[in-house]
Amino acid sequence: MKYLLFLLLFLLILGVVGVASNPSPGFAALSLVMVAGSGCSLLAGQGGYFLALILFLIYLGGMLVVFAYSVAFTGSDYVEGWGTRRISLAAAGYLLLVWGGGVILSTNLNEEFWTVGASFGEFMSLEYSLVGVAHLYMGGGWLLVAGAWALLLVLLAVLELVRGASRGAVRVV
Amino acid sequence: MSPLHFTFTAMFTLSLLGLTFYRTHLLSALLCLESIMLSLFLAFSLCALKFDSSAFSVAPMILLTFSACEASIGLALLVATVRTHGTDQLQNFNVLQC
Repeated sequence: MKYLLFLLLFLLILGVVGVASNPSPGFAALSLVMVAGSGCSLLAGQGGYFLALILFLIYLGGMLVVFAYSVAFTGSDYVEGWGTRRISLAAAGYLLLVWGGGVILSTNLNEEFWTVGASFGEFMSLEYSLVGVAHLYMGGGWLLVAGAWALLLVLLAVLELVRGASRGAVRVV
Repeated sequence: MSPLHFTFTAMFTLSLLGLTFYRTHLLSALLCLESIMLSLFLAFSLCALKFDSSAFSVAPMILLTFSACEASIGLALLVATVRTHGTDQLQNFNVLQC
């Protein structure tokens, strides 16, 4: 289980290095999908099935799909991947930075995965993340209203931004 | 620093560096912003899971909501920019007027 966790953490770092080295946006979106996938496996492995599902549905299925077709209309004729010298040097530099930081910041590699606390219960009868969302509807009602209002406001703001024609933020077309 | 904690710190810092040093495409900056939000979401979720706290599980959901808001505004700005300048490459943003 520890080896699986190490593999997932390694895939996370590798994917974020792939995004941060700024290749062409299509490759960066692909790398971000890999990060989200391994993060989802990490969450599901720790018992947060609902949060993993939310991550897959909302993040990958909602937000990254929109990013994917935005990549389509900002296409360029020269597509750079990780074979280009600039991007591979940047990725190698970031990996070296992570490795150096790990060497400096790691005190004892045999310690627990999480510094604080210990898991007392092996058998959880409730799934805590799902109960937490129920808290959102129950005690956190005003936060729910604020989130919904923010989403509605952002919808109207986006419609105003991309309106074009004679009104809107950026005109001419 | 435990490996899990180091991973989230490294993810956040790397995405921040990628946002700082982006070169050609505006969309690369938006994707680095998305990976910052993803690292924060994973950190919040694992904190809620490891401490067996059900009330703190609200935090990743709210973070994801506002991250979706921010991503959509960023993409709307990208669309508006592409409609006027023709591309999202930064070297074309040399004229101040829209």
